[in-house]
Amino acid sequence: MAIPLRDNMLVVKDLRKSFGGVKAVDGVSFDVPRGTITGLIGPNGAGKSTVVNSLSGFHGVDGGSVMFDGTDITNWPSHKVAQRGLIRTFQLARELRSLTVFENMLLASNDQPGQTSWQALFLRKKIRDSERDLLGKAVDLLKRFNLFHVRDEYAGNLSGGQKKLLDLARALMADPRLMLLDEPMAGVNPTLAGQLQEHIRDLKDEKGITFLLIEHNLRIVESLCNHVVVMAEGTILAEGNMSALRENENVVRAYLGG
Amino acid sequence: MLHYLLTLAIFFAFFAVEAWGLNLQFGLTGILDFTYITFVAIGAYFAGVAAMTPSTNGGMGGSYIFGWQLPFPLSPVIGGIAAAMLGVVVGIIGLRRLRSDYLAIVTVSVGQIVWMVIGNATPLFNGWDGIVGVPQPYNSVMNLSTNNYEWPFLGISVIVAAIIFWLVRSLTESPYGRILRAIREDENVAAALGKNVFRYRMSAFVIGAFIAGISGALQIEYIGAWNPSGWTTLETFIVWAAMLVGGRGNNRGMLLGAFLVPVLFTEATRWITIPAHPLLMEAIRGMAIGLLMVLAVRFRPQGVIPERKRVFPLTTIPGLKEDVANGHTAQG
Amino acid sequence: MTLSLIWMGIGFGLITASVLALGAVGLTLQFGVTNFVNFAYGEFLTIGAYLAFVFNKGLNMNIWLSMLIAGVLTAVVAYLFNVWVIQPFIKRKSQMIILLVVTIGMDLFLMNFVQAIFGPEFKQYQDPAGSILHIGPFLFTLQQIIIILIAAAAMVSLHVLLKYTKLGKAMRALSDNAELALISGIPTMRVTNYAWLLSGFLGGLAGVVLAINVNNFTPALGSEFLFVIFAAVIMGGIGRPYGAMLGALVIGLAMEVSATFMDSAYKTVVAFGILVIMLLFRPQGILPSRGRV
Ligand SMILES: Nc1ncnc2c1ncn2[C@@H]1O[C@H](COP(=O)(O)OP(=O)(O)OP(=O)(O)O)[C@@H](O)[C@H]1O
Ligand SMILES: [Mg+2]
Repeated sequence: MAIPLRDNMLVVKDLRKSFGGVKAVDGVSFDVPRGTITGLIGPNGAGKSTVVNSLSGFHGVDGGSVMFDGTDITNWPSHKVAQRGLIRTFQLARELRSLTVFENMLLASNDQPGQTSWQALFLRKKIRDSERDLLGKAVDLLKRFNLFHVRDEYAGNLSGGQKKLLDLARALMADPRLMLLDEPMAGVNPTLAGQLQEHIRDLKDEKGITFLLIEHNLRIVESLCNHVVVMAEGTILAEGNMSALRENENVVRAYLGG
Repeated sequence: MLHYLLTLAIFFAFFAVEAWGLNLQFGLTGILDFTYITFVAIGAYFAGVAAMTPSTNGGMGGSYIFGWQLPFPLSPVIGGIAAAMLGVVVGIIGLRRLRSDYLAIVTVSVGQIVWMVIGNATPLFNGWDGIVGVPQPYNSVMNLSTNNYEWPFLGISVIVAAIIFWLVRSLTESPYGRILRAIREDENVAAALGKNVFRYRMSAFVIGAFIAGISGALQIEYIGAWNPSGWTTLETFIVWAAMLVGGRGNNRGMLLGAFLVPVLFTEATRWITIPAHPLLMEAIRGMAIGLLMVLAVRFRPQGVIPERKRVFPLTTIPGLKEDVANGHTAQG
Repeated sequence: MTLSLIWMGIGFGLITASVLALGAVGLTLQFGVTNFVNFAYGEFLTIGAYLAFVFNKGLNMNIWLSMLIAGVLTAVVAYLFNVWVIQPFIKRKSQMIILLVVTIGMDLFLMNFVQAIFGPEFKQYQDPAGSILHIGPFLFTLQQIIIILIAAAAMVSLHVLLKYTKLGKAMRALSDNAELALISGIPTMRVTNYAWLLSGFLGGLAGVVLAINVNNFTPALGSEFLFVIFAAVIMGGIGRPYGAMLGALVIGLAMEVSATFMDSAYKTVVAFGILVIMLLFRPQGILPSRGRV
C-alpha cells in the first residue's frame, strides 16, 4: 500500500499515559499536517488534555513516540520542546499573577539577550534595545487580542476571559511553529470568541503556524478545521472532516449524540 | 556610643547582604532555603582559614585547613565560592524535582549534617571550639586599635554591600530576573515558554549562596572568630523574617527588613533580661521571630515595601508616539 | 565478637526503626492527604515528649500511661494547628511555598515555646528501664521491648484502619487523587481533620518513645530528629504509609549497624546519605511506582 505523501508537522504514534489505574491515553496515533488547523475533540475525560500534556513534555509518557517536524521529541522536557517551536496553552489559563501583561509577553520571547545571569550583568545596553523591539511586537499582539488597555495591569487582576487571551497572545510572542491550544475559547465571551477564530485563521494564513485545537463547540471546529481527530476514553475513535464524522455511527454514539 | 553605633552600622551591612541573597533565592525565585545560615557559615569558615596563617596543628590556634594568608578581597571571594559550591551540591540533590518541598527537605537536612560534621571533624575548622585569630583586613599595615579600626571596616562593608546591591539589582531588573519571577509564580508556565527551570533555579540558588558566603566572610573578618554555636537555626529565620517583613522581591525592602528585624528588634531585645531565667529571653526571641514570619505572610504577604510594579512607558516604544498623542491608549 | 556487635547493632536498629516508624507514618499520612510537608512536625514529637514528662515526672504517672495521654493531647494540638494556622492560608489559596514557610515559622515558634516553659536543660523520665532480657541473639530491656511492641501494634492498627474502615479508604482515595476524591463525594475537610489528628497522635507517641530511647532530651529533640524522619519518608515514597514503615526499618537498621563500625556521632550521616541517594536516583521511593511524583 502506498503511503500518502503528506508533510506532517506532528506525528503521534501509539501514545500511552496512565495515572495510577486510570489509562488516560491508551494507544493514540494521529498526524497534524503542516499549515493546517487540526481539531481534537471528544467528551470530557477523553484524554485530550493528557495528549497535549504528553506532547509538550509536561509529563513523561508510558509508551509511544512523538515526532515534531522530523525530530523525535518523545519524553523531551517542556522547555526543550518549547524552544523547538512547539508551544502549548493551558485549558485553565495560567497567568503569572505578579507579572504585568507586558511582562508576561516579554517573558515568552526566547531569543532576547539578558536571559542568563552574566548577560543580565554585562549586556545592559543590548538588553534595553532588544526590550524596545519586543515591546513593539507585544503592542501589536495586545492590540490584536484587545488587551492593550490593560498592558500595565498585573495579570492576576485580569478577568477570566482576558487571562485566556493573554495565554494565547503570550504563546505567540514565542514565535511558535506549532501551537497546541487547549480550549482557547472556553470562558471567552462569544463576540471575542468569534474574533479569536479569525485570529487563528489569520495566523495560520499569514505566519504559517500549524495548530492543534481542542474545542468542545463543534460549530467552531467545523468552521476552522478540515481535519478532526475524535477521542473517547483514551483512544482514537475516528478521524476525518467534520461532515464525515457526523455520519460516523461510533462518533455519534460516543460523543455527538451525548 | 559612637563605637556602638558604628558596630550597628557594620552589622546592618552584613544583614543587608544576607537579605539580598535570600531574596534572590526566595523573594525572586521561590526557592525554600531553610538553612541559609549554613551558607553564611561556610563562607565565613573558608574566608577565615584562607586569610589565617597556617595551622600549628594542636598548638594555640587549634587545627584547621588552608592557612593561605590571602589578602582581603581574595579571602572573601574564597568564602563566597565555597558557599556557592555547597549550593551547587545541594541544588543537584534537591532542585531537579519540580516540587519545592524536596529542596526544603534537603536544606533542613544539610544544615544539620554540615553543623554536626564541622563540630565533630576537628581538623577542618577546629571543631566545636571554632577558629580564632582571623586577621582584620589590612590592619597589619594600618595597625589600628579595635575601636579605631571600625571606621575603615565600615568603609569596606559599605563598598561590598554596594557591589552586592548592584549585582542583585542588575539581576532583578533584567530578562533573567523576569524569568526567575515567572518561575516563582508557576514553574510549569515558565517551562512551557521554553525556560529551563532547573538551570534558572540552580543559578539563583547558587548566586544566593555566594552572596551568603560573602556576608559570612565579612563577618568573620570583622569578628575574627567563628564556631558552631554562632550559627543556629534561629539565625536563618532572622534573615527570613527580615526578608518577609521588608518585602520579598524588593531589594530596597531588604534594607528596611535588615534594619527592622536583625538590627532594631535583636538589639532592642538584647537589653531586656530576665535575671531569674537568663535563657528565657532567648526562647522568647525565637518565638517572636517564628511568629513574625507567620504573621507577616498572613497579614502583609507583600511586606512593608512591596515588589515594584514594572511599567513600560509607551514613549519608548517605536512607532507608538502617534497613538499616544491621539489618545488611542485608553481604547479597549 | 564482631558478630555479636552486629547483632547488638541490629537490636538497636529495631528500636530506632520502631521510633522512626511511628514518626514517619505520622508525617507521611498527613502529607498524603494534604499534599504539603509539615516542617513543624518535629515539634509534635517535642510536645508529646514534654507532655508525657509533665504526667510522668509532675504527676507521678506510669510512663506508658503518660505516653498515651500525651499522644492524645498532641493529636489535639495538631488538629488545632491545622484549624488555626494552616486553614486560613488554604482558604486564601496561598501558594504551597507560603504554606511551607508558615510551617517552618511555627516550628521555630513551638520549639521556643517549649523551651520558654521547660527551659533548655536536659530532662529525663522517671521510669525503670526494667530487667534485661535475652531474646534470641538480642539483649533488650523490658522498656525497649515495649517500644517495639507499641510500634508494631500501631502499624497493625494503621493497616486495619487504612484497609478496612471508611475513614482509611477515604484517606487513601484522597492521597491517590484529590480531585477524583472530591468529585466522588468524600468529605475532604473531615478526612483532613482526622489525618491531622492521627499525625499528631503518632508524632506525640514517637516523641515519647524517642525521648525514652535517647534517655535525656531538650526542646530540640523533635527538630533534630526530623530529618531522619524525612529520610525514612522519602525512602518509602512521600505520602505512602507502608513505604514509610519500610523506610523506617531500613534507615533504623542502617544507622545503628553502621554505628557499630564507626564513630556513632556520624550515624545520622548514614541516614542523610540514604536520603541523598534516594533523591538522586529514586525520588519516588523504593516501592513500585504508583504514578505520582
Ligand atoms: N494529573 C493527573 N492525575 C491523575 N489523573 C489524571 C491526571 N490528568 C488527567 N487525569 C485523568 O485522565 C483522564 C483524562 O483526562 P483529560 O484531562 O486528559 O481529559 P480531557 O479530554 O481533556 O477532558 P476535558 O474535556 O474535561 O478537558 C481523566 O479520567 C482524568 O481524571
Ligand atoms: Mg481537557
